[in-house]
Amino acid sequence: MNIRALLPFGILLLAWIASMSMFTVDERELAIKFRLGKIIQTEFEPGLHFKVPFINDVRKYPRQVLTQSNPQELFLTLEKKNLFVDFFVKWRIVDVGAYYRATRGDELLAAQRLIEIVKDGVRSEFAKRTVPQAVTAERRELLDDMLASARKNALTLGIEVVDVRVKRTEFPEQVSDSVFDRMRQERARTASELRAQGAEAAEQIRAEADRQRTVTLAEAYREAEKVRGAGDAEAAQIYAEAYRKDPEFFAFYRSIQAYRRSLGKESDLLVLDKDSEFFRYMERPDAGR
Amino acid sequence: MAWNESGNGKNPWDRGRNDGPPDLDKIVRDWQQRLSTFFRGGRGGQRPAGPAGNPINAPLLGLVAIVVGVIWLATGFYRVDAAERGVVTRFGMYQTSTEPGLRWHLPWPIERVERVNINEVVPFKLQTRMLTADENIVVVDLVVQYRRADPVQYLFNVRDPEATLQDISESAIREVIGKNKLDFVLLEGRTEIAVQTEKLIQQTLDEYQTGMFVTKVNLQDANFPSQVEAAVQDAIKAREDKERVSFEAQAYANDVIPRARGEAVRRQQDSEGYRARVVADAQGEASRFTQLLAQYQKAPEVTRRRLYLEAMEDIYANSSKVLVDTAKGSNLIYLPVDKILEQNQNRRPAAGPNQPVQAPAASAAAEASTVTRDREDRRTREAR
Repeated sequence: MNIRALLPFGILLLAWIASMSMFTVDERELAIKFRLGKIIQTEFEPGLHFKVPFINDVRKYPRQVLTQSNPQELFLTLEKKNLFVDFFVKWRIVDVGAYYRATRGDELLAAQRLIEIVKDGVRSEFAKRTVPQAVTAERRELLDDMLASARKNALTLGIEVVDVRVKRTEFPEQVSDSVFDRMRQERARTASELRAQGAEAAEQIRAEADRQRTVTLAEAYREAEKVRGAGDAEAAQIYAEAYRKDPEFFAFYRSIQAYRRSLGKESDLLVLDKDSEFFRYMERPDAGR
Repeated sequence: MAWNESGNGKNPWDRGRNDGPPDLDKIVRDWQQRLSTFFRGGRGGQRPAGPAGNPINAPLLGLVAIVVGVIWLATGFYRVDAAERGVVTRFGMYQTSTEPGLRWHLPWPIERVERVNINEVVPFKLQTRMLTADENIVVVDLVVQYRRADPVQYLFNVRDPEATLQDISESAIREVIGKNKLDFVLLEGRTEIAVQTEKLIQQTLDEYQTGMFVTKVNLQDANFPSQVEAAVQDAIKAREDKERVSFEAQAYANDVIPRARGEAVRRQQDSEGYRARVVADAQGEASRFTQLLAQYQKAPEVTRRRLYLEAMEDIYANSSKVLVDTAKGSNLIYLPVDKILEQNQNRRPAAGPNQPVQAPAASAAAEASTVTRDREDRRTREAR
């Protein structure tokens, strides 16, 4: 009866001891087994493992690639210009024992120390370059040299630096403003250039049109005068041919025609001598005889 | 570590029942096989064994144990969607990847399954300001689309792969933009930049073994920062202005040149007309003269006098006259010419301004002095 009543407790106790003496390691995890605070094993494959309850202690750390970003910070370039730079470090724990000893397994602390190491490298790389070089350079190339030393230092923390990437390289606010000014001026320059080109083209077109008009009219004038001249010549010939037959009569005929045309208007006032041919018979009706 | 932790909250027993019986046979065989391999491995402590030798409680306890055992085993059922793959780990160690369908794994705490959607294309947007190679600032809108192509790598290798992709993308686009000049970025370079960025992102993703695959990088927009916008707009307007001014000039040219051509034709035609008229006039007058001459030659004296008198008659008939007798008179005669002209003027108010005329002293030689000061007269002479 007693034994039967204790049976469930016995089973529970066994299960508890069993669970205390086993632990699992995930694909994503690294583990350290301690014996009374001393590291005795760090190499664990993922899967089920055993330990002695109370004597062995197990701690787990990430096996994955981790990211640590550094917020924007001012870096000096070769020409002593300030650049805001932020970068991120991809890192991974490779030697979990060393990692534990160096950082007490505190991921934040580890990341912080890693950033210190990498930042020095980044700073020195930026100090070697001018702004265009820093901006233009391949980010990878920018960091390769620096990565070598950072890698070595990081290994003492049990950490492998997988990659360091620069994200932003930006000018501080005042410099940005002057960049904007420059860009604006550049646009303004383009704008005025375009407008001037437009005026140029327009003036060319107008001038061309005016020239064409002048030429056309002048040529037309030339042709017209030629035709007029030909007409005048022809007319003169006709007149001459006719009038040559009796020049004396022509002179008379043409004269009276001219008198007719030029005199005898209502507004004219003629002051006449009574002795003229016309008035021959006015006072002496028999003068002709 | 519950059975539903990796699932979507559905009860796996329900799923087991809902699916038809034909699959169940295979599954049962499957887990039997698994169980046997598992127990051959020597870890048999998990089996909920009923205490067999109890005379009173044995049947009841046995039944309870069997029911509990069956329920426990049933928690191992899970379903993998068509777009998904299941990743099974046994005590944390990667075991297998499973295809879509109804599956079973050893229940907790032995095996776990995590499902990853490998077909879904996930987009994310990125908008940042960055420097170009010629130290200009440009604002870029980037859309990166990716897929979790390798579920095992995706799950295990990198912590927070999405954030990693974001970091990588930002770094990559900056690197590519930083190598190109502003005009290239804004105008012709878009596709090329997208292609380069995609390549760079993929390369880095592979380096980290994230198991992610970038399907497309789209440079949606590359623009000037808002601080420069006004100047940019003005430049665009200037381009329009340039066109407009040219068009205006063209319009002017199109107006002027045809008019000039028209004018040229008019001059031509005028001159032709003039020529025709002058010649016709000449012919007419010549003909008239010739005919008259023929008659004149028959009776010259009479004809001559007749012509003269007729002409004088016409002239004198229409105009004002003053007869002066030079033979008798004094040398100086006063003629109120202006008065006379004024009179004439009053009769014809439309005539030009009158001018006072001091009549010249009629000399003995004078036959007929004419005073013709009227403009009208000049005009008629011009017109012939």
